[in-house]
Amino acid sequence: MSRGNSNSRTAAGKGVSFSSNPVLAVKLPVWRSRLLLFFLFAAFFALMTRALYLQGMTTEFLQKQGENRYARTLELSATRGKITDRHGQVLASSVPVKAIWAIPEDVLNAPDAKLRELAGLLEMSEAELRKKLDSDRQFVYLKRQVEQAAADKIVALGIPGIETRKEYKRFYPEGEVMAHVVGFTNVEDKGQEGIELASEKNLAGKTGSRRVIKDRLGRIVEDIESIRPPHDGKDIKLSIDSKIQYIAYTHVKEAVEKFKAKAGAAVVLDVQTGEVLALVNLPTYNPNDRSVLTGAQLRNRVITDTFEPGSTMKPFTIALALETGRVTPETIIQTAPGAMTIGTQTIHDAHKQGTLTVAGVIQKSSNIGTAKIALQMPPQEMWEMFATLGFGQQPNIGFPGAVAGRMRNFKTWKPIEQATMSYGHGLSVSLLQIARSYMIFARKGDLIPLTFQQSTEMPMGTRVISEATAMKMRDMLESVTQPGGTATQARVPGYRVGGKTGTAHKVEAGRYVNKYVSDFVGFAPMSNPRIIVAVMLDEPSGGAYYAGTVAGPVFAAIIANVLRSMNVVPDSSVMNIIPEPSVPEAL
Amino acid sequence: MSARLNIVLGAALVICALTLINSQYQARRLFIELERAQTLSKQYEVEWTQLKLDQSTFGKHARIETVANQELGMVHVTPDRTQYLTAEVVK
Repeated sequence: MSRGNSNSRTAAGKGVSFSSNPVLAVKLPVWRSRLLLFFLFAAFFALMTRALYLQGMTTEFLQKQGENRYARTLELSATRGKITDRHGQVLASSVPVKAIWAIPEDVLNAPDAKLRELAGLLEMSEAELRKKLDSDRQFVYLKRQVEQAAADKIVALGIPGIETRKEYKRFYPEGEVMAHVVGFTNVEDKGQEGIELASEKNLAGKTGSRRVIKDRLGRIVEDIESIRPPHDGKDIKLSIDSKIQYIAYTHVKEAVEKFKAKAGAAVVLDVQTGEVLALVNLPTYNPNDRSVLTGAQLRNRVITDTFEPGSTMKPFTIALALETGRVTPETIIQTAPGAMTIGTQTIHDAHKQGTLTVAGVIQKSSNIGTAKIALQMPPQEMWEMFATLGFGQQPNIGFPGAVAGRMRNFKTWKPIEQATMSYGHGLSVSLLQIARSYMIFARKGDLIPLTFQQSTEMPMGTRVISEATAMKMRDMLESVTQPGGTATQARVPGYRVGGKTGTAHKVEAGRYVNKYVSDFVGFAPMSNPRIIVAVMLDEPSGGAYYAGTVAGPVFAAIIANVLRSMNVVPDSSVMNIIPEPSVPEAL
Repeated sequence: MSARLNIVLGAALVICALTLINSQYQARRLFIELERAQTLSKQYEVEWTQLKLDQSTFGKHARIETVANQELGMVHVTPDRTQYLTAEVVK
């Protein structure tokens, strides 16, 4: 025991050597050291298992957590496609704006002066703002679709808890003129009406994403994964010509005001391509500000509403009779004494005409003449003709809410019904349907599908009547606008026009009432038709209601201005028209 | 012999390390530049959309007509005041 001597370092200071230390003399039980050893090993074991657990079993989770600290997924926004007219004029376009949202708890801690300023920038009263913030939720939208400049000012206030989110606002530069064609989107930039809804799939963009590493200051340092690029929505070019649309709109609007009509509508079609050049509805709305909207304003009376067309149907009955050789334009029809009883009911002409030729039946719009011709034909033939023209059939034009109209099966037709249907009562059509059906006269006998998108190729037509019949019908339709016809006011200086008036009593609760729908469908120029125009005025209540005086002048004004804007060469030498009264037509 | 080899290898290692640092730095710098350029292009795109929209707003027919009528005192043409020229007449 060398340590036992007095030079030993340990315990020497106290004068006690290690070996003689009294502590050593205490006899401790062996289990105590063993226990200590056991605890030490147990602790090591615990550490090792933990290490194994972290490294081996939860690696994935931990790595993910680590990545979350520096990697961010950014959403790459995609813009909704533009809608333009056929010349590229923008009709609807999305512009980025900001949604302002808040964490209420944090914002309410801000000084009152700042809140007042915030309320001012949000264009709401302070009380309104406080009401919005008085919520248990963690997330409250304060205002959506705030324009960039205003949003920047709000951010500059530096109020804690105020955040912004990028979103898009849709602008409609043409406003109420185009409202029913283009439609509108909701606050989420989803189409709700019109083309916006019909072409939602093409217009909507697909958002992309990218994963990046951000540094402490929030700058992007590196891309981690490959970028999933955003796909912007496709732009859509409509067949609508904004100039023609504007011309039609102003004239229909003028007429609605002049004749105190409840509503008005017009549609302009291109005879060669079947494109819809204009589609006008009144009353209308401003799609940029839809805070006050009524159902009447939203209604699309050209496509989604039907009405009894009245006499505008007569040309089809006559065309069928000509086509099947039952009559010629010169065949004499006796319409006296101005009333005719079929079964238990009597039909009337507004004015007694006496004997008329078939051409005269169209020119003077005689109900009795048309009914007499119709009753020579089996119901099935008439029904087939009407169905081929698209009446009662679901139109295939890619527009939401397009209606088929109502036409009963020929098996249930009674003679009186066949007679009234021949002059446009007892069936209902949309303005677009009746406008399209006039293609057979404007196009030498064939019918083509309509489209709302600009088309470059000529569509294939289906023949309905022969060219000879179509030409005979054209002459009759032109006579309607000439002296002695029901629509002399539809004449246009410089161009030969043709068309047919229609005035019908409205049906309310299943009964005809003394309210009227006046419509006029026609085309021009007669030498080589380019456009079909259909005009409809609902409940003109200023005294006049005959289509010749109500809808005829609108038709003439639209034709005159549209043909001029399309640079169509005049085909008539009559350059100035002295107004002549129209012959009142039968109801 | 082996000492010299070690020095050479060590120097090579240091050079490689420095180039790596440099290239990483360059990569980040270029990346930021690219990022900035892309942001700018997106900004221009938005601006272009806005300008197209403005063009439509200021060029809409309702506005043109009011300006023509009221500020410039223009009237609509009518066929009786129009001289029509066809191709044959021009020849």
